[in-house]
Amino acid sequence: MIEATFPLLGTAFVVLIVLPAFALLAKAGLVTLERDEAGGPLHGLNLRYVLLTGSSALPIAWLLSAGLHQAETGKSALACLFDHDTAELCFEPGFFALVLAAAIFASSIGVVRKHRGARASSTDAARTLVRRVARIIASDPALAGLHDRVVATDDVGFALGTHGLLKPRVFIGTDFAARLSDEMLASALGHEAEHLRALDPLRYLILQLALAVNPFGRFLLEPHAARWRAAREAHCDREAVIHGAAPLPLADAIVRAARPGAREAVALGARDTAVLRLRIGMLLAFSERTPARCCHQGPSAFPVAFVLLLIALLLPHQTGTAALDVLHTGAEHALTYFWR
Amino acid sequence: MTFRLRSGKKGLELRLHDLEATIMDVVWGKQLSSFAVGDVLAILEKQRDIAYTTVMTTVTRLYEKGILERERDGKRYLYSPKLSREEFLQSTAREVLDEAVGGHQAMAMLAEKVSEASAGELDDLEALIQKRREELDA
Repeated sequence: MIEATFPLLGTAFVVLIVLPAFALLAKAGLVTLERDEAGGPLHGLNLRYVLLTGSSALPIAWLLSAGLHQAETGKSALACLFDHDTAELCFEPGFFALVLAAAIFASSIGVVRKHRGARASSTDAARTLVRRVARIIASDPALAGLHDRVVATDDVGFALGTHGLLKPRVFIGTDFAARLSDEMLASALGHEAEHLRALDPLRYLILQLALAVNPFGRFLLEPHAARWRAAREAHCDREAVIHGAAPLPLADAIVRAARPGAREAVALGARDTAVLRLRIGMLLAFSERTPARCCHQGPSAFPVAFVLLLIALLLPHQTGTAALDVLHTGAEHALTYFWR
Repeated sequence: MTFRLRSGKKGLELRLHDLEATIMDVVWGKQLSSFAVGDVLAILEKQRDIAYTTVMTTVTRLYEKGILERERDGKRYLYSPKLSREEFLQSTAREVLDEAVGGHQAMAMLAEKVSEASAGELDDLEALIQKRREELDA
């Protein structure tokens, strides 16, 4: 049995079987949540996010941690003891962790590359826009969080979007801003302020990564992820209105951002017909009655996700790595069976 | 205060036309726990020219929508509000919100096949926004 067997076969098993199985479980949970008629698309956003990302991140974290744990202690895994005769050290779990990490890294490159903002401009048009935005922000306390966090860009076709992972900034295209009244721009900034406050670019990136590292399971989860993104946009609309944004100018800005020419996919949301109809319908209703926060959102997604990730990382060190041994022996026995 | 809410398919009919909203403002504002059509007419006549039959028709419609209840008092009906203003606002706000963002229907909308909005569909949406703006301005 060559030493590369488990690292390669185990990684293939994780990608082909383990992650899709977790995706299936997450899908069952998501379907249940989405079928809750008392809820609706804006309910349980954090729980849905944890299911979408956790179904990939948690098993991977556990497997990486378990592989490193077995390698770092020098203790032989069961497979090494039984199948490798008298071997005292077994580096295969460590190699497995490395191969798995490499596979994750390779599948993530595309996502990270796509995730880049526009470039800031310093032309006259951009400076004029920055001054205009500063005036709007100064006149609206609800937008105070955007102070020094708005960047103008001459990037052709760029509308509006929040970029940056830990210190996000709002980018505004000068062409797009020129098509908006001050009221529309203020409302649109209110929407982006919620993205900024909640570190949504980071959330979106983690979600994209979670789907990218699960190439087979993602087919199960992609529709739910799209609905989550749409609901998140609608949530930001509602939060903007709650904080004082005018619903109809925001609706106008959303429709204008969806016009052909704006390439920014996250510009005030997507261009999808159904999502636009839902969000515009919602804002029309809000123009008659200011919304309240309809539902308990539960604990924030980030702390919950962090704690779950920590548990997944620590668990192998505390409760053992039997599942990795099963994967290890299973992979090698399967190969032996097919080679026989 | 004018109530111009979206119509619902069940529960309270949520759309109150202008005169319906005016009458409910009078009922709640004057705290009329039991009133005849003539009582409301007397108050409204101080504000505008209005016919008895118009008020009677509107009050009947409010009764049919479940916002008022009534009992016979000789040859006339005595009406009373089913809900306080706050209860009404709470229930309508809830139903407006449900209609806008909640429930299976909204989720089904998001489950529709993804298709990029055409220029015509965006025009329709803009027209819808403009129409609502004009309604609110009016």
